[in-house]
Amino acid sequence: MDQTLSEFGNVFVFFLLGVVFVAGGYLTARMLRPSRPNPVKTSTYECGEEAVGSAWVKFNIRFYVVALIFIIFDVEVVFLFPWATVFRQLGSFALVEALVFAGILILGLVYAWVKGDLDWVRPTPSVPKMPEMPASKSTSQRD
Amino acid sequence: MFELPSGAEIQSIISILKSGLGFFIPEIYLSILFMGLIILDLALKGRNKSGILGWATLIGLGGSFYFIAQQHAMQAGEHFFGMYVLDEYAIFFKYFFVASGMFAVVATLADRKFDAEVKSIGEYYALVVAMVIGMVMMAAASDLLMIFLAMELVSLSAYILSGYFKRDARSSEAALKYLVYGAVSSGLMLYGFSLIYGMTAETNILKISMELADHGYDPLVMILATLLIMAGFGYKIGAFPFHFWSPDVYEGAPTPITAYLSVASKAAGFALLLRFFYIAVPHGVSPYEDILGIDWLTLLVIMSVASMIYGNVVAIWQKNVKRLLAYSSIAHAGYLLLGVIVMDEIGTQAVLFYLLSYFLMNYAAFYVVVLISNRTGSETLDDYRGLGSKMPLAGAALTVFLISLVGLPPTVGFIGKLMIFSALLSKGALYIWLALIGVLTSVISLYYYMLIPLNMFLRESLEPNEKSLNPGFLAQLMMAVLMILTIWFGLFFEPLSEFARYSSAMFGLSLY
Amino acid sequence: MEQLTTIGINHYLTISAILFALGLYAVMTRKNAIVVLMGVELILNAANINFLAFSHYNGGMEGVMFSLFVIVLAAAEAAVALAIIINIYKIFKSVDVSSIDSMKE
Repeated sequence: MDQTLSEFGNVFVFFLLGVVFVAGGYLTARMLRPSRPNPVKTSTYECGEEAVGSAWVKFNIRFYVVALIFIIFDVEVVFLFPWATVFRQLGSFALVEALVFAGILILGLVYAWVKGDLDWVRPTPSVPKMPEMPASKSTSQRD
Repeated sequence: MFELPSGAEIQSIISILKSGLGFFIPEIYLSILFMGLIILDLALKGRNKSGILGWATLIGLGGSFYFIAQQHAMQAGEHFFGMYVLDEYAIFFKYFFVASGMFAVVATLADRKFDAEVKSIGEYYALVVAMVIGMVMMAAASDLLMIFLAMELVSLSAYILSGYFKRDARSSEAALKYLVYGAVSSGLMLYGFSLIYGMTAETNILKISMELADHGYDPLVMILATLLIMAGFGYKIGAFPFHFWSPDVYEGAPTPITAYLSVASKAAGFALLLRFFYIAVPHGVSPYEDILGIDWLTLLVIMSVASMIYGNVVAIWQKNVKRLLAYSSIAHAGYLLLGVIVMDEIGTQAVLFYLLSYFLMNYAAFYVVVLISNRTGSETLDDYRGLGSKMPLAGAALTVFLISLVGLPPTVGFIGKLMIFSALLSKGALYIWLALIGVLTSVISLYYYMLIPLNMFLRESLEPNEKSLNPGFLAQLMMAVLMILTIWFGLFFEPLSEFARYSSAMFGLSLY
Repeated sequence: MEQLTTIGINHYLTISAILFALGLYAVMTRKNAIVVLMGVELILNAANINFLAFSHYNGGMEGVMFSLFVIVLAAAEAAVALAIIINIYKIFKSVDVSSIDSMKE
């Protein structure tokens, strides 16, 4: 083999080490551990909760709404990174510019907030099964 | 990997940005208007909110004319590192788009369907303004990045606007179709841009043209990039192979938005197409011989002819007036493309003039459609029967606008077509057949346009009831003014055509 | 052999072309609106890879800038798109692009 590895060689060695590491872990565990399965042990581990039903359930659409609002503001940060790298030299002009930029975004957030798109539990006329739960949730969300 | 700029460099960057701001005032004004409308929407309560917001938008948009008019005195040139251009051509389109935004607001205020369908008008007017900003930027963008951003701003606003009747199935479907086709075509265009960037290492269209002229290009890659970019532009102008969205979107969207899309969004596409096609593409000694591979010109000719034939022929069978106007707008994109193909000053002038005339007659026609559907609740051709006696002025006005759309004298549409065809003929024998197709398809359009007045005046209503349908004084006045303008500019077109000629000056153009 | 041992611009362009083709394939064959939009995301990211590769090998920052803006716009577009699709689902109980076709001549 050559003294210097090519770029692909590096990747290949890395890949190989990864495979060996994972496989080695499993192999030693298999050799050392006692094997006594029972139904509780083989069930899916879900943070200590009992797993109910299949994992392929439909999630509430509100998750997406909140996630989407989040992702827009999250992604806008991309523009602040280049700005931040040269912030020291930029001075006050750039600070004002960034504030204008952030201000416009905050206006959007305020709009979504006031219009009620951030409220998790919307006021619904139907009576919930457990009256305390939704109420306490909604107050904590509003804070 | 990349070096950070030094302090002096940054100071010069900041000074360029600051000096550029002076040439960017109308856009800044419009952005502030956009945010103001959002705040106003949050602050206002009560029943009359929709009206107040509409009038505020109207006045706000009108105020921007003052800032645009001041730009005539400024030197044409590039700003913001070649991202943005200020020239007479861009100023023309600024007027155009702000006026079309105002007209969309007027049509919205007239449309009764909004009261029934929309619980809160909310961000509607703000989105109309956002679309104006995007289109203004499309007309003035001189950098691939700026072009992409402006187009996306227009598209995103338009998706929401076309689906604004949330509970209406047709409106939602319109939004979905507009979205799917729009997203795909903008993705394709972006890939085309990336290929051009790869070939030239530049994103400014002037520099791209220089780079391509100096170093040549790989014809295969260029064809690919060209096709991909045409997908994006063709989608915006609604020309033949990229027209699939337009009939459904035009039929389903709220009528003011249909009018807005068919006039303003199409004009924005043409503004971009003209600038990109005339500047980014290198033109050698003879511009007709060495344009890129299978060349843009052939592509445009094919698109134009196909649009004229397809739009006019398919429109014959339409039963819904909005859908009929949608197909006719595909045909009008074909006529406008004829003007682009000419590639000289007369051609540009003809395109700009045609856009002005299209603005007038198409908006006016849609305005009457809105008024009629306010009273009858329908847009199908059969429900137009016998309307001529109930709404005489609306009938007369619509007839005038449709005559203008056909291109018959003495209307502004006639002058528009005349200018396009004469620009074609002045280029020599090569283009006679193109003009011929244009004339022949116009004759076809006579048939389907005239179906509407035929139904209104000569056919009896299906359900006879004699109550007259008065659209109200303001609407009557508006229709009368539009009708007079359509005929007036058909007879005295000098100021418009002078304005169009004056506005055909693009920055960095070496074509004519 | 050099093609295999050093990663050059061609590798990036190939990956990007494959991504582009997969995206286009998804757009043209899939009927679910969300999958179509995922195809669009693939196309956008293919363009991004192109921009970054060209930017690195041609020099200059324009490509990097371009891809930053594309990332942000893709997020914005996804937000609008999902809002519209949720609304479509409420009305039609389906997000199948080909079956949502209430308007025809």
